[in-house]
Amino acid sequence: MVEFTLDGRPATASEGELLVHAAARQGVFIPTLCHDDKLEPYGGCRMCVVDVEGAPRPMPACATRVAPGMVVSTNGSTTDFRRTLTEMLLTEHLDPNPGGRPNELTDLAQELGAEAPFILPDAKREPYEDRNKLMGYEPDSCILCNRCVRYTQEVMQCSALSLEGRGGEARIVPTWGKSWLDTECELCGGCLSVCPTGALHEKFLTGADVEESALTKVKTTCTFCGVGCQLDLNVDPATDRIVKVTSEPHYVSNEGNLCVKGRFSFNFVHHPDRLTEPLVRGEDGELHPATWEQALQVAADGIKGVIARHGTQAVGFLASARLTNEENYLIQKLARNGVGTNSVHSCEAT
Amino acid sequence: MIGSNTTEAHPVLALRIKKAVRNGATLVVADPRKIWLTKLAKRHLQLRPGTDVWLLNAMMHTILTEGLQDEDFIRDHTEDFDAVREVVMRYTPEEAEKVTGVPAEAIRATAREYASERHAGIFYTLGITEHACGVDNIWSLANLVLMTGHLGYESTGLNALRGQNNVQGLNDSGANPTYLPGYQSVDDPEIRAKFASVWGGEVPATPGYRLDQMISGLHDGRIKALYLIGENPAQTEPNVHHVEEGLGNLEFLISQDLFLNETSRDHANVVFPASSFAEKDGTFTNTERRVNLVRTAVPPPGNARVDREIVIAMAKALGADWPEYPDAESVWNELAGLAPNWAGITYARLEQEGIQWPCVDSDDPGTPFLHAPRPARPNGRGKFFPVEWQPPIEQPDSEYPLVLSTGRTLYHYNSATMTMREAGILDKQEDPFFEISPEDASNLGLADGDWARLVSRRGELEARAQIGDRVYPGLVWMALHFAQARVNWLTHDVGDPLIGTPEYKVSAVRVERVPA
Ligand code: SF4
Ligand code: SF4
Ligand code: SF4
Ligand code: FES
Repeated sequence: MVEFTLDGRPATASEGELLVHAAARQGVFIPTLCHDDKLEPYGGCRMCVVDVEGAPRPMPACATRVAPGMVVSTNGSTTDFRRTLTEMLLTEHLDPNPGGRPNELTDLAQELGAEAPFILPDAKREPYEDRNKLMGYEPDSCILCNRCVRYTQEVMQCSALSLEGRGGEARIVPTWGKSWLDTECELCGGCLSVCPTGALHEKFLTGADVEESALTKVKTTCTFCGVGCQLDLNVDPATDRIVKVTSEPHYVSNEGNLCVKGRFSFNFVHHPDRLTEPLVRGEDGELHPATWEQALQVAADGIKGVIARHGTQAVGFLASARLTNEENYLIQKLARNGVGTNSVHSCEAT
Repeated sequence: MIGSNTTEAHPVLALRIKKAVRNGATLVVADPRKIWLTKLAKRHLQLRPGTDVWLLNAMMHTILTEGLQDEDFIRDHTEDFDAVREVVMRYTPEEAEKVTGVPAEAIRATAREYASERHAGIFYTLGITEHACGVDNIWSLANLVLMTGHLGYESTGLNALRGQNNVQGLNDSGANPTYLPGYQSVDDPEIRAKFASVWGGEVPATPGYRLDQMISGLHDGRIKALYLIGENPAQTEPNVHHVEEGLGNLEFLISQDLFLNETSRDHANVVFPASSFAEKDGTFTNTERRVNLVRTAVPPPGNARVDREIVIAMAKALGADWPEYPDAESVWNELAGLAPNWAGITYARLEQEGIQWPCVDSDDPGTPFLHAPRPARPNGRGKFFPVEWQPPIEQPDSEYPLVLSTGRTLYHYNSATMTMREAGILDKQEDPFFEISPEDASNLGLADGDWARLVSRRGELEARAQIGDRVYPGLVWMALHFAQARVNWLTHDVGDPLIGTPEYKVSAVRVERVPA
């Protein structure tokens, strides 16, 4: 346990704890921009700076570990500094909302009462187009915080994204100026999930650019592999369609990370090939649409016929790892209790 | 990591491994292919497919000859150790090198590192189980774990990474011919009586058929009707042509699925339009045994229905007397009431976050480590089970000189009826492809991206050659997702004698150029 002073009051931190976390536990929220709990301390944007007694200059709270006896002030000169820094960032932030994702910079500006005093004459950047259909990048929104690049390096450990160019030319691009599709990128969308401004954003098949705040989030479990990632299906209430998938850092098992399937493979839900009517095979050997009553009748008669001719052991059930526990339970109950056979298994028994 | 291409099969779990390595953990990968994780690995044991038992027995040989085993654990928590000692002493690392292709020194070094590190865990997936000797492989791994006492505490154990989202729950909830829900044996009359009293009506005592027995039953007439729910055996089962013939013999087939698939289009008498995960409530159980809620986000399309309602309607149509089951929760409550290890799990508790079973009552927080404080067997002792190596059933020969191994890729999901409909993902991987070494490719005159024909004793298909050093000379690898080039046309269906898991991982093939 480390004791220190925070805004004139005694406070405690655990050994080696970052100032930003220790302060948050005491109810003092220091704004951050380039910081992300998934990533290693970085201290690049200076938004979180605080005064530390004896230090020659303000220190970034996101990259400073609490030391015993430290005297920290979060509400002195640094408050003005933060507003000025925010205003400077806004002078180049031409597109606050390219893909409808939340924007930490504009939220912060609102909180601090900061507005762009002017727009830099050379703020407009060369647009970026990428032929992949899942992710886009808007240089006019990017604040070069490097969160996305650090995510690829630290979490994915790939080299798909880089920060290239200097000054007004600086931007994030797939490495070597290729498309995302030609890099090591696995389309996990992790880089966009950590982007604070939405400069990296989802591209949409339909209903482009719906504000994330207007979507209904339904927390559920991924349907693709045994990791069981927890995710939010973001549904457009106007169309009842899933628009995108997000996840939160506090979700157990995946800590807000997803892979390409969990994040981007949801359009199958709304695909036109989905079956929408029961089908029954007719005399002509073809499948024809039927009502539920008819289909259930034919199905039940078919099973009863086989039982009558060959006994219950002649009926088999194959359940599925795609289905819920409840559904699989009912299926084995149908086999054992409804038909009278223990022959219930699955192709995915391992 | 053994037989697990984690970055592709379990990408988010792989992030944990990447992080651990970044924090200083030692990673050893045993896999026939140079998979992505080998980049981070301290050592890659590039064993020949189907030689896992040799590798593992030789590791145990090293541990025992060097005295690195955990004598206390073996004495207090296991049984039948001597039987394993006797067998593995015949598996020297030098002999293992000849069979597996892995240098003896690498085997020794891995054995030493594993045995002497307290926090050492083993992870495996289908690369280990989809062999005719799949159960042997797991016994071997279990022997290794028991011998070194790596069990029942953090960062240890023998961790099966479940392939699909709810494989764990599928078995837990009793979709299994030998077990009623909660791994309660159908053979036990008392258990049957317990279920019968809740369900009303007898639970049949006659043993049911496993998947492989049902498939062979299609041919010998034991099976006359099948009810397939979310299953597409005409693509995912080995030796597909054989399966398709069998389906043609059925008198009646019901398919309940999201899409028409190869099986239902040709063979189903009735097709029920079912629901995706986004359209239903319920639970999935992940590979950590964590029961997680699934929640309805959107309604099913058109007249499609949630699977729960369809199965209930079928029960009614067949004359069964079932309760109303107004929602998924009511089904869960019946299941949890019958299966003691789930008894403490309620939807209300899951609302916050998932719970790892066993969870026996409402005060039980769940069980992160299954074998703590001691192995979870009735006598509290882990059982050693000596394993002798069995060569893969099909060996390469002059006519079929290459070994074909199969698996999954990042971008698709099994028969890919879902992922093949994602335009953005198809950009990354659309055409069927197979991996081949530069040496074999140049012998055949194949260039990267060329179409080639793969031929086995059972069938053939065409796919693009992807040339690279992920596979070694003599090995080709192909994913099973492609409907127009189903790799299971090539594989054989002789499975593990105990549980019938087919040997997807090793077949003999030859590759031919396709004249342009
Ligand atoms: S999508 Fe994932 S893999 Fe691709 S660049 Fe972003 S973080 Fe890296
Ligand atoms: S794209 Fe987003 S995360 Fe990356 S540097 Fe720009 S603002 Fe930061
Ligand atoms: S998001 Fe990816 S890793 Fe997570 S459960 Fe889904 S498929 Fe598995
Ligand atoms: S948030 Fe601390 S320096 Fe950027």
